[in-house]
Amino acid sequence: MAAMLKCVMSGSQVKVFGKAVQALSRISDELWLDPSKKGLALRCVNSSRSAYGCVLFSPVFFQHYQWSALVKMSENELDTTLNLKCKLGMKSILPIFRCLNSLERNIEKCKIFTRSDKCKVVIQFFYRHGIKRTHNICFQESQPLQVIFDKNVCTNTLMIQPRLLADAIVLFTSSQEEVTLAVTPLNFCLKSSNEESMDLSNAVYSEMFVGSDEFDFFQIGMDTEITFCFKELKGILTFSEATHAPISIYFDFPGKPLALSIDDMLVEANFILATLADESSRASSPQSLCLSQKRKRSDLIKKKAGKNITGQALECISRKAAPRRLYPKETLTNISALENCGSPAMKRANGDVSEVSENSVSNTEEVPGSLCLRKFSCMFFGAVSSDQQEHFNHPFDSLARASDSEEDMNNVCRKEFNGSDAKYFCII
Amino acid sequence: MRFRAKIVDGACLNHFTRISNMIAKLAKTCTLRISPDKLNFILCDKLANGGVSMWCELEQENFFNEYQMEGVSAENNEIYLELTSENLSRALKTAQNARALKIKLTNKHFPCLTVSVELLSMSSSSRIVTHDIPIKVIPRKLWKDLQEPVVPDPDVSIYLPVLKTMKSVVEKMKNISNHLVIEANLDGELNLKIETELVCVTTHFKDLGNPPLASESTHQDRNMEHMAEVHIDIRKLLQFLAGQQVNPTKALCSLEYWSLNQ
Repeated sequence: MAAMLKCVMSGSQVKVFGKAVQALSRISDELWLDPSKKGLALRCVNSSRSAYGCVLFSPVFFQHYQWSALVKMSENELDTTLNLKCKLGMKSILPIFRCLNSLERNIEKCKIFTRSDKCKVVIQFFYRHGIKRTHNICFQESQPLQVIFDKNVCTNTLMIQPRLLADAIVLFTSSQEEVTLAVTPLNFCLKSSNEESMDLSNAVYSEMFVGSDEFDFFQIGMDTEITFCFKELKGILTFSEATHAPISIYFDFPGKPLALSIDDMLVEANFILATLADESSRASSPQSLCLSQKRKRSDLIKKKAGKNITGQALECISRKAAPRRLYPKETLTNISALENCGSPAMKRANGDVSEVSENSVSNTEEVPGSLCLRKFSCMFFGAVSSDQQEHFNHPFDSLARASDSEEDMNNVCRKEFNGSDAKYFCII
Repeated sequence: MRFRAKIVDGACLNHFTRISNMIAKLAKTCTLRISPDKLNFILCDKLANGGVSMWCELEQENFFNEYQMEGVSAENNEIYLELTSENLSRALKTAQNARALKIKLTNKHFPCLTVSVELLSMSSSSRIVTHDIPIKVIPRKLWKDLQEPVVPDPDVSIYLPVLKTMKSVVEKMKNISNHLVIEANLDGELNLKIETELVCVTTHFKDLGNPPLASESTHQDRNMEHMAEVHIDIRKLLQFLAGQQVNPTKALCSLEYWSLNQ
């Protein structure tokens, strides 16, 4: 039995689905279709790995939902569950979900199913009078990326009506790349990023102060100012128009990613954006990054991850010369799943590491559209073991410590690889 | 140099916003002149290049509840600022349901016109939106180029038809030719004409009315039906018509050889 997906939706469900695709298209040019028992997840990550989006449609969202994964029995009794590895180009799927209002009105049913033997996703729209529209999209086999962000440990949590976000967004021009969110226990301010407006003497600086009573939920643990990319904010606003649910914002100190979530029982959307790290608040070494994937073979991963970490860590620390991507894409496909993940953190590193980061980031400038993110290095997510709290209290006990000795790294790695759940980390 | 002003009336704010939008459509950069009684938006494009020159005057007491200014010096009690017109119109756009709008001259890292808006919101606290628009202060030596243009006595002055109608006519004509001929006479007749090798199209407007003549003597012997004509670049006229956001009570077109004013 091959890994497969089959689901059926009504017209109004298609509208929500289409809005999710549109929202994710603002982040990336590629989309993963990732079915599991939790439902169908649409995932994407941007080219500079500084923004991640995931919309999870629960099985009860659909009129019909069926999925399966391929289970491979192996000799040492460790089964591999191979899920559907389906990556679609946004250019292929976005035009199908155009004119959502007319789709909602005119279609009776929409069926999406995969044919793994032919690496195709088939999307069919059934109209009245027996008219049927079929799209066949070839997909690439690629492990979906998953970012796990623990919202519960965030110091600051807000819940706002989408209307508020929409009002804030009109303040800024589309040429504005970064915005800064500043909060105190009493109020909230969204403003143009200082860094940007200082460079261009022609740019208008705008800010909007909103009182805490306009929020559905307002819990601020500490005064914080974080800066992130503006474009992605518009993406989540697109999706919120479809669900009418409030938007929750979870964040911490500068450098740690920000999460925007919408949860309306049937659909859960999470957009995780990297934030600019403060000059002063950098840890001495990069915290471990984990964009996880979903295979559960512990030994295999341990070995590979260990190897990767060693290699990468050394690169990380020692290289000062030629620019090169610090985090080649290939390594991602070898990385295993992470079940629990602690506090994600994004670092724009300094010292030795910063030179490397700068270099690696400069490479990403070649990628179109990522120019605004040149100050953001890749997103780091703490891959913490079950001793989550411990990690949190000792943020400098980086699991991916700079080390000259391979042994050291392996030792560190191995410590974490215990328990039945595979818990891994790697530097990407 | 100091400037502080406040608008609290919704209608005044709306009107001011629309004027600002009109300016933004006509020119990328404009000059704002602040004097004790008036506010002027000035655009000075060299006429030799077929540019549009504009002078817009607002009586400050018609718009602002509070208005205080201190010019460059006691003898020259005026302030001339240059800014990107779109920045101002966009800042004002966010002020549509405002309780109050304040504009003031500030210096935050560089000279700015700060537009600060207090918005009505559903909860008890209001939202405060601030925009710092960067400006350049125009030195006194350049002030002479920015004075009110002298409108010479026209040959013919006529009230224009509804600008929307005129705009749609001119827009269609733009597709045929770049060159438009406007003819008008003292009998309330206006023609918009385009001529190409293949086709000649004329739109006639009648019974438009003429304002009273400035100097009766010069024109007494004029034939009322004699048409004065000017040739202009159609795109410039369209730019002007497209920018019209404020519905004028009367739009006046004065033709004189070599000039066209409103």
